[in-house]
Amino acid sequence: MNERQADTGKTIQSIETMIRLLDVIRRRESVGVTELANEVGRSKSTVHHYLRTLELYDCLEKSDGTYQLGLRFLTYGGQARFRQRIYQLAKSDVDQLAAETGEQVRLVVERGGHGIAIYQAEGEHLDYPRSYVGSVDELHCTAAGKAFLAALSPDRVAELLAETELVGYTENTITDKDVLLEELEQIRSREVAYDDEERTEGIRCVAVAITSRSGELLGAISVSGPTDRLTDERFRSKIPSQLQNIVGVVEINTTYSDWADTV
Amino acid sequence: MTANRDQLTIGIVGVGTHGMNHARVLRDLGHEVIAADADPTTRATFESEFETDPYENPSELFESDVDAVIISTPTKFHEPVATSAFEAGLDVLVEKPLAHTVTSAERIAAAAKRTNQICMVGFHHRFRNACTVLEEYIEEGYLGDVTHIDAKFIRRRGVPGRGTWYTSDEIAGGGALMDVGSHALDLLFSFYDWPTIENVLATANAEFGGQESYAYLHMWGEDSEARMYDVEDSVNAFLEFDDGRTADIEIAWAANTQSVHSYDVRGTEAGASLDITNTLEEIDPTGSRQNTLELYEVRNGVVDHFVDSEVVCPRNDPYRDELSTFLDAVVSGSRPERNNVHQALSVQRAIDRLYDEVDY
Repeated sequence: MNERQADTGKTIQSIETMIRLLDVIRRRESVGVTELANEVGRSKSTVHHYLRTLELYDCLEKSDGTYQLGLRFLTYGGQARFRQRIYQLAKSDVDQLAAETGEQVRLVVERGGHGIAIYQAEGEHLDYPRSYVGSVDELHCTAAGKAFLAALSPDRVAELLAETELVGYTENTITDKDVLLEELEQIRSREVAYDDEERTEGIRCVAVAITSRSGELLGAISVSGPTDRLTDERFRSKIPSQLQNIVGVVEINTTYSDWADTV
Repeated sequence: MTANRDQLTIGIVGVGTHGMNHARVLRDLGHEVIAADADPTTRATFESEFETDPYENPSELFESDVDAVIISTPTKFHEPVATSAFEAGLDVLVEKPLAHTVTSAERIAAAAKRTNQICMVGFHHRFRNACTVLEEYIEEGYLGDVTHIDAKFIRRRGVPGRGTWYTSDEIAGGGALMDVGSHALDLLFSFYDWPTIENVLATANAEFGGQESYAYLHMWGEDSEARMYDVEDSVNAFLEFDDGRTADIEIAWAANTQSVHSYDVRGTEAGASLDITNTLEEIDPTGSRQNTLELYEVRNGVVDHFVDSEVVCPRNDPYRDELSTFLDAVVSGSRPERNNVHQALSVQRAIDRLYDEVDY
């Protein structure tokens, strides 16, 4: 997750240290005390106290001298996701699209300039998922992220781009802001966003933004797969139209969702 | 119900193209209209024409002082709205088709029965004078025993708001068959007095939906977003009923042929040909509105001969007569036979049966 500078009011330093520790563990998946102490610039003994405390509350698990995230976060995450309306509204459609395409399909929402996958389903082509629910991606190099940028107001896009470095991950990653803005224009006109090996070599992704009738950005649904399966026709035509069918249904269901609940 | 027949207050849930049409007819008939719609854009359009702000949620509409309700939402949402209207003690006119699936249609019919409310379904063609007259001729036996009907509802170019909910299987429950085909089945079944299907042979195609070169000449509703197209745009079927009577059905939203909406009815004594084609093509802004009914007979005499005669009946506005029938029923509390929920359920089951047959 991005590291934010606390720019207003007083914050509690120990909590910030704890969050930095947890972020390092999340990023590296499994880390020892020495490495953590170096990463956050605190003494080994201090870091050890943090880790012991977090372990005591099931926030961390320890095995072979290294620490991993604990299941308490799944409880928090499960609830955080459960109360996202778009999760409730789109879940079954994401499942359906995964069955139709056989690929990995994700429901992504935008938070603080990043995309967070709040749900994903895998079709028959995948033996195991390539990523996990809750994983965070940058906007400029992912299909869902670019779909978000294309759906947000120009002011908001300028604000996000001003504070973001367009990191290049592959030859295809867009690292020039003007090129990215041009691409957003195209995404707006065709209502489909592509990631053509821009985040990971060998992986392509297609995404369509979900917006409410009043124009509010609710999220995006993406379909990703390896280049040998997401070949040109499938990548540029078949999957985009399947995605648009599903997103259209989610949008209509969203418009009428209050009715089904309350009438 | 002690409503004054001369001025009722009717609630319309869903004021898109069809809801607005109902609202205008009701206003012309001197009734008051209030509305509910989930879509802010649609609410604004209604307000600018009717100077009353629609509710966001139908439950608010049901709590206000309405005499009856018309439902013209996307088809998938007929059921929750209709069910709660019945439970609020209100009679309902539901736009056709009754529901997006048979099970949803069955639940609507069951809710109407449980609450003892009137449920009429908007197959407005049944109220067209030429259709009513033909139904009467058949019923009184003028044609003898009717053995075959050829029903065609083909639009040359007329996919409704391609890319909107009309072309989404999950929201509409189907494509051309669900939309215009339901009218054709409704009329066919009324001519056959609600027969039981024995055998079905059916095929479906989707030839125009995915074409970017598809030339729009007419459509219902907007086509602002070219999204959602996962339904068929034509269906051909042959039906055999349990008493051996048969029917050919041709349905299309788009086809490279002349537009036609007709019913050729063959009886043992005489035949009839009903043509209610309404082309409404933008290429010909005056369009062509057929409203003809012809009878074909053979008579013996010194010289055996054909007698072909034209039935001339006054032109009427079927939407207006449908609404008047509904409002009369609301005031009197007596159920209209025409367009009742059981008939609509038969149509829904037939559509389902046809979809089961097509490998689509």
